Amino acid sequence: MVEPFAPGILSKEALDARLDALLKEYEIVAPVNRRGQAHFSKIIEISEIEWGYSSSVIPPSKVIYQAEQLLMRFVNQDGSYLVVEQHPPSRQRILLGVHPCDIHGILVLERTLVGRWQDSWYAGERKRSLIIGLNCQNPGPDCFCSSFGTGPFYAPWMGQGPPEGCDLFMTELMSGYLIETFTEAGRRLLEGSELTKPTDSDLVEKDERHKKTLDQFTKHLNTDGLDALLNRHLEHPVWERVGEDRCLSCTNCTMVCPTCYCYDIVDRAQLDLKTILRWRRWDSCQDQHFAEVHFGNFRPSRKARLRQFVCHKLSYWMEQYGCYGCVGCGRCIHWCPTGIDLTEIAAEIRREEIRL
Amino acid sequence: MNWILPREAVVVAVKTETPDTKTLTLRLRNSHERLDFKPGQFNMVGLPGIGEAPITFSSPSGNETFQHTVRAVGRVTRALTALKGSDVLHVRGPFGSGWPEDEAVGKNLLIVAGGMGMVPLRPFLLHVFENRIKFGRIVVLYGARTPDDMLFRDEVTVWAEQADTKVLLTVDEVPVGSTWTGPTGVVTELFDHPGVLLDDALALTCGPELMMRFVVRGLLLRQFPASRIYLSLERRMRCGVAQCGHCQIGPKYVCQDGPVFCYTDLRGWPDTLL
Ligand SMILES: Cc1cc2nc3c(=O)[nH]c(=O)nc-3n(C[C@H](O)[C@H](O)[C@H](O)COP(=O)(O)OP(=O)(O)OC[C@H]3O[C@@H](n4cnc5c(N)ncnc54)[C@H](O)[C@@H]3O)c2cc1C
Ligand code: SF4
Ligand code: SF4
Repeated sequence: MVEPFAPGILSKEALDARLDALLKEYEIVAPVNRRGQAHFSKIIEISEIEWGYSSSVIPPSKVIYQAEQLLMRFVNQDGSYLVVEQHPPSRQRILLGVHPCDIHGILVLERTLVGRWQDSWYAGERKRSLIIGLNCQNPGPDCFCSSFGTGPFYAPWMGQGPPEGCDLFMTELMSGYLIETFTEAGRRLLEGSELTKPTDSDLVEKDERHKKTLDQFTKHLNTDGLDALLNRHLEHPVWERVGEDRCLSCTNCTMVCPTCYCYDIVDRAQLDLKTILRWRRWDSCQDQHFAEVHFGNFRPSRKARLRQFVCHKLSYWMEQYGCYGCVGCGRCIHWCPTGIDLTEIAAEIRREEIRL
Repeated sequence: MNWILPREAVVVAVKTETPDTKTLTLRLRNSHERLDFKPGQFNMVGLPGIGEAPITFSSPSGNETFQHTVRAVGRVTRALTALKGSDVLHVRGPFGSGWPEDEAVGKNLLIVAGGMGMVPLRPFLLHVFENRIKFGRIVVLYGARTPDDMLFRDEVTVWAEQADTKVLLTVDEVPVGSTWTGPTGVVTELFDHPGVLLDDALALTCGPELMMRFVVRGLLLRQFPASRIYLSLERRMRCGVAQCGHCQIGPKYVCQDGPVFCYTDLRGWPDTLL
């Protein structure tokens, strides 16, 4: 038996049994394999979980921040409209197996959506989501969280991180899962499970696994003074070359990025024409019309739009929120149909500056 | 209250300013509520099923009613300018920064407006005239495409008669049959009139971004300090609270850090015409 909140080891069998029990009470959203890709989906059986996944298509932060959200209804009553607020569901659910980069992604996204002005739907979805993190031991070829320090193992980064960001946290070891408990809600999830005290060799194994995982990274980004570096090169030829020659404005990069928050608001009338629904839905700075106003377009070129995406993530974010807007998850690289890679863009700019 | 939920406002009066621009006088439908705002701030103004648009306050705060002056250029603004007395619309706000009221105290003021750009400057000027002794000399330069596009003509005439105030008007073109006798040409040409550029002044400008580019450059060329130039920008906006992302210029959110900016905060960022 271990003290509450002290790290403990849970055998694989005990964990499965515990999750089985939780599945009767909670909706569990976990990485599952769909046509060869990991997706965060609602599971029916524990056996569906793909524990060793590398990266999911859509990040967990966007399970919380949904692509479309009904904000309110306007109900026509004698020519005037009654505003009916739409509340998020309150039933608790579990987001299971969230990698450190993606927990940091959630915390970064929150700096926008529940900062000075609160998005009550995001806040509601977040509040009902218990998060069980999982240290990543299988980085993919596009991952570079190790360059930022947002992964592969969970650690504080730029004023955020443990104990913030998750309720429970797991590391797979030979003897089972090393479990760290960060919140009271997390502790309650484990009630009734027999945790054993980790041995010294368990802790040594954790460190070794961390080192071994770090060695697997093939992609790196030099983050030293990165924001200032990009700000000095807003007119670098790389923007024009990569933007105009390769970017298709498909918006994939922004859809899969865990920290992208931009949205549009649209009204749709219901068929009775008496009720109007106001929706919020993801938008993208890569869309041609994103910065269009009645007298023109402030980012008419793909060059300008690509620069906006990359510089926002790697530079502007720092002034806005005191952290980078990129957590190194590699999704924008992986899902770009023409292989545009923000780490290569940043490296090209840095090489040139060194040469000069 | 949740910032995204709109409040109902009733149209009290509609005034036609120019062929495509109207001033709506509004009051909140719930008479217990008041809207307190600063000159230069804006509301998201909308209609269910049509949408919302950012619209500056064109009147000063502190009254039971407030005004919005709207030019019909698209879906929302066309619907707003079609409203009649006692119609109901939606507002949420106020949002954004205002003109630097405190910094302006004790200084000479150079106001440079182009076309619709007079809308956010009007409540500031009315505030200044109401507290006249707190400010130095006032110079208002106002340019419009044609004489008919000039807003608030009656008021502008009254401003020109105020103590220590100079008002210079100019138009780009004079249609045949117009009674215009004033100067023609771009507003920056007025900079070299005597008594326009004063020491210890603050310049406040709003208008088409291309016009503001020439205003800023014209001022800098004449040794006007960059840190004393303030401008109000227009960008696409959906939320008003630095979340929808549309209005960003480099690290700045026009809706929250602006729409009124000191020029030094905007200098160097891409995707502007400045
Ligand atoms: C801070 C601020 C204050 C302002 N104050 C005022 C004011 O006091 N008075 C005033 O009249 N105006 C003001 N404006 C400008 C006003 O907000 C715009 O004119 C208004 O938003 C236009 O909206 P609309 O629905 O009428 O036009 P839209 O229907 O949005 O059309 C405008 C144009 O935008 C483009 N567009 C819009 N949506 C799309 C889309 N989904 N896809 C492609 N293209 C699109 C099109 O080119 C279209 O022609 C202000 C703007 C800002 C930012
Ligand atoms: S910018 Fe790309 S690598 Fe960085 S967090 Fe977003 S999707 Fe991941
Ligand atoms: S995914 Fe690639 S091609 Fe598509 S918009 Fe992003 S950078 Fe351009």
